[in-house]
Amino acid sequence: MDSSFDLPDSTDWISTSLPTFAPIEAALRCEVCKEFYENPVITSCSHTFCSLCIRRCISSDGKCPACKTVCSTDKLLPNYVVREVAIRFQEARPKALELARQDKEKDETIASGGKAAKKRKFDDAAIEDESPRRNTRSRTTRSSQRSNDMRDVPIEVKDSEDEGDEEFVPEGFARCPMCQRPKKVEDMWQHTASCNGEPEPAAGQSTRSRHAASNSDKHQDTHDSARRAARTQPNALQHRRKELPPPMSRLPTMNYALLNESKLKKKLQELGISASGKKELLIRRHTEWLHLWNSNCDASDDRRKTKRELLKELDTWERTQGGNASTSTATVMRKDFDSRGHASTHKSQFDDLIANARKKRTIPAENRSEEDSRPEQEVKGAQMVDRSEKTSTTDPQTGSHSNSDVAKPYEGNETALASIREKVAQTKLHGTPLPSLNHESASMSNLSTNAVHAAHEGEPGIQDPFSSPSRKLPMFSLPEEPVIDVESSTTVQ
Amino acid sequence: MTSSASKRLFKEYRGLSSDPPEGIMAGPVSEDDMFLWEAFIQGPEGTPFEGGVFPAELKFPKDYPLAPPTMRFLVDVWHPNVYANGNVCISILHPPGDDPHQYEQASERWSPIQSVEKILISVMSMLAEPNDESPANVDAARMWREKRADYEKIVKENVRKSLGL
Repeated sequence: MDSSFDLPDSTDWISTSLPTFAPIEAALRCEVCKEFYENPVITSCSHTFCSLCIRRCISSDGKCPACKTVCSTDKLLPNYVVREVAIRFQEARPKALELARQDKEKDETIASGGKAAKKRKFDDAAIEDESPRRNTRSRTTRSSQRSNDMRDVPIEVKDSEDEGDEEFVPEGFARCPMCQRPKKVEDMWQHTASCNGEPEPAAGQSTRSRHAASNSDKHQDTHDSARRAARTQPNALQHRRKELPPPMSRLPTMNYALLNESKLKKKLQELGISASGKKELLIRRHTEWLHLWNSNCDASDDRRKTKRELLKELDTWERTQGGNASTSTATVMRKDFDSRGHASTHKSQFDDLIANARKKRTIPAENRSEEDSRPEQEVKGAQMVDRSEKTSTTDPQTGSHSNSDVAKPYEGNETALASIREKVAQTKLHGTPLPSLNHESASMSNLSTNAVHAAHEGEPGIQDPFSSPSRKLPMFSLPEEPVIDVESSTTVQ
Repeated sequence: MTSSASKRLFKEYRGLSSDPPEGIMAGPVSEDDMFLWEAFIQGPEGTPFEGGVFPAELKFPKDYPLAPPTMRFLVDVWHPNVYANGNVCISILHPPGDDPHQYEQASERWSPIQSVEKILISVMSMLAEPNDESPANVDAARMWREKRADYEKIVKENVRKSLGL
């Protein structure tokens, strides 16, 4: 992990020839979120923070985080100079950092003196540059072409051609084909499911200037007409595509004590945000929405977010801190978890499960339809809910399966899933083959044993749709009588 | 999907691993859960804790950095400001506005601009200089005040035990 960070930090400068840039960068970062200032504002006690950060802090304890003097959000003023410096520094950063790093490397090779050291360093650099690109399929042709060419070309040429950070993907990462953001290979599935395809907002100069240009162009031309059109004919597609940022009017705070739940719900609906949940959650959601909205009002015109973007941010909040935040924090197995002890203390239960599974096998499959096999599993699952929950969070292999995003025939049916996990866990623990869940044909049971082998190798074998008993029934059968097509009155077979 | 809390924790981890303060090591137990960290603190030199390395666990709330984490030593630490179960009682870990003891100054307490690094440095200096005004471990505090030699003996024994000697 230490090498695969792709997160700029002020400490990046320490190992370069410009270590004095570390405090400069630290000074341009908000002390609350540790990111570069975004819409910085200055408090009445002359401290600067991101607009969103200080609003959150003030609503939590009403004081400046730096000096603990009492603050209020209506005294916050945008800090234009800091905003400008932070933006420009971010634009200059990648190139400057690259140069400072190269400079340091040069110094080191000179210091070490040997030609051998120099050669090795270049070789390493070439390998590092090539390997991550193999991950992205869309780049294969280009990168292989390029790396072939590169073998004969001096290293300096390649560096300048590469444009530094833009092309660089750290090891173990790959670029998302939609948003071009580097993501961990393991997380790619999950990411692509939720990716909205938007490019990274602060990727670099090129993206920003494009964004700004398009924004200002359209802003001037379509601002008034779009607004008029939106009012008169809200279905005009070409205008809806470009949603205008909300105007600079701040939302007022509310005295929640004076509002009952239904009134508060109405307010939230008027604002266009979700009105589900209890009053306490409604208050927290409304507060967060005020923070997001009002901090957006501190942004410069070309950077102001649209309401849709703000709603997306509220959704993220909802999932991490709001109503949809998961209450179980540890989905990770503790380092010191005694898996052997767990296996031995629950051995009798595991044995019972094996016996049950064997018994089930003797019942001919033809007698059981999908309807009665499912409830049985659920009952069985319900008996061990308490234990299966433990396993699903603690067992190393099965725990990881529950997170992977493969096809899930049992999705939603947590008890059935848990019972399958149990069985896989037993076979792993005891080394006995999993009792085949399929009874229809030999080839099917072969498939299921394959699934077991896959599970042994740590692959997500449990999700194999072939090994689930519910899938073996045909989902629909073809009618035996020929169907008559009414419209053309011909017979279709 | 990452919350602002886990983003900030990742940043702190990043900073701590590329520029670690002396005698301190810290990071998340697993990359999948940024809200549970493990930290190792070296016993400060010139104190009975010298030579020891003390593992501790930090748990972060979902609204970090608005609220402080909790810290618990995973080995026996005989100290006036450490509870018997290992929980650390130190002003920087107390949220502002909630002052059960009425002795701390607001400026010493948690604020969003504090960080894991500052917490661990404070704990290190707490090991060197206990605050016996509001002890978490009354017995240890009394011993520290009245029988310093016995106190140091227990501490040194714990150090040896924690090193597996």
